[in-house]
Amino acid sequence: MIIFKNISKIYPPDVTALNNINLHIKPKEFVSIVGRSGTGKTTLMKILTAEEPSTKGRVIIGGWDITDIKSTEVPILRRQIGVVFQDFKLLPKKTVFENIAFALQVSGAERKKIKEIVPQVLKIVGLINKEGRYPIQLSGGEQQRVAIARSLVHRPKILIADEPTGNLDSINTQEIVDLLLKINEFGTTVVLVTHNREVVNSINKRVVTLDNGAIISDQKVGKYIL
Amino acid sequence: MAPLYLTKKSENIYYNFMVISSLYRIFLFAWQSFWRNFWLSLVTITIIILTFISINFLVVVNITTDAAINIVKEKIDVSIYFRPDTTENQVFEVKTYLSSLTQVKDISYVSQQEALEKFRQLHREDSVIIESLEELEDNPIGATLQVKAKDMDEYPAIMEVLDNSKYNNLILDKNFDDHKTYIGKIKNLSENIKRIGLLTSGIFVFIALLIVFNTIRVAIYTHRQEVKIMKLVGATNWFIRSPFLLEAILYGIIGCVFSIIVIYPLLNIVQPYLENFFLTEEFNIVYYFNDNFWKIFGLEILIVILLNIISSSIAIRRYLKV
Repeated sequence: MIIFKNISKIYPPDVTALNNINLHIKPKEFVSIVGRSGTGKTTLMKILTAEEPSTKGRVIIGGWDITDIKSTEVPILRRQIGVVFQDFKLLPKKTVFENIAFALQVSGAERKKIKEIVPQVLKIVGLINKEGRYPIQLSGGEQQRVAIARSLVHRPKILIADEPTGNLDSINTQEIVDLLLKINEFGTTVVLVTHNREVVNSINKRVVTLDNGAIISDQKVGKYIL
Repeated sequence: MAPLYLTKKSENIYYNFMVISSLYRIFLFAWQSFWRNFWLSLVTITIIILTFISINFLVVVNITTDAAINIVKEKIDVSIYFRPDTTENQVFEVKTYLSSLTQVKDISYVSQQEALEKFRQLHREDSVIIESLEELEDNPIGATLQVKAKDMDEYPAIMEVLDNSKYNNLILDKNFDDHKTYIGKIKNLSENIKRIGLLTSGIFVFIALLIVFNTIRVAIYTHRQEVKIMKLVGATNWFIRSPFLLEAILYGIIGCVFSIIVIYPLLNIVQPYLENFFLTEEFNIVYYFNDNFWKIFGLEILIVILLNIISSSIAIRRYLKV
């Protein structure tokens, strides 16, 4: 599903963020990518969503070599990859429904389609009764669930969660992790980037550990080892 | 395993790209952005209105001076005064000779008798002149030819031809020079007004460009969060840029509409003064604007929109790396 082949990322003049990464993520897999802050996890995810190009190597997602992706193709890629962030990135002046609908609007979906899809994803994340609320009226966990719902509107084959629990307490964290596992069960490949030891240890799935821009361990059923 | 492959083609993503709903949303986003920074929009439109007014001031100056010069030109002719002892045949000979010149448009003949009548009319209040005329046996006033040239600049050439011809000794006097200085003065004045108008318009256009640039930049800054999210969820660059471009176009259109609303009353105020100046109702600046409405405002709005697009495109490119 996702193949990183000899990926290196060097920020000018000579800061090496990633050093010769080789990683193969299979379809429907749930992979945690762990490591200390500044170790290149987020850079790796940015290469995956074509936010940044790699300096060396090739990236192939779902059979599509995106190494030299054209700028006009980037939106097409992003509609097929769901992304969730630590800071949710919700629009404060829009309701839950509007925030989710926004993702469909900007890619040209019809009103009818929007009315159909938004309740579906709200149901998946368990917020069907809160669609009229504003982000500020929700708990952190609920906000992140809205963000996850938004990432699901395009029915992505891959979901990337970059520190999704970074701003949440342990109860909310567990809720989000459970939700990600549920989405994975539906058949979506999930890439979870985190440095939360408890989260990683509770999942019992593949763990890839990064340190200084390189993979130092890749365990099929892993634990947090740093 | 087909569903696990990503597609490069947007139409294969479970719904089609809906141009109509996208256009509607782009317009909606532009409209919201316009109102969100209301005061900034107001300033932008005001400066665009000022630009329009100053450009149209130039237009008014241009067409009024053109009209003035045309009216004066119509009135210009050269009067050739013949000696009283010149015979009618000789005058006709000169007339035929002048008619053969390509520069000449029209010649009218004023006979000795008519010239005398005109002279009497002119001096009917002056008893001394009338009395002295009565005492004279012969008509002291010669015939006159009034010559109109096709172009004002050709009078000197016609004069020269006449000076060098054998008819020179028949001619008492010619008058021309006064008109030339008159036209020269009009031209000079209009050139000066145009220069000032051009400078003012240039300054306004420049300020308008800067302000549109800044407004779009602020609009992008205000929307940075939305833009970031739009990019993440896969909005096309076209979709992200368009609302800002549309906003700039909207400023041009609204500015133009308001400037038309302002300009017409101004023209109505100016019109009576122009009538007084020209002493004719033939030339009406309001009618001129009516007749050439699309030519004047259509062209202006196209140029303003084009400039706004250029200015905002630079702002978008610099501040919106999509």
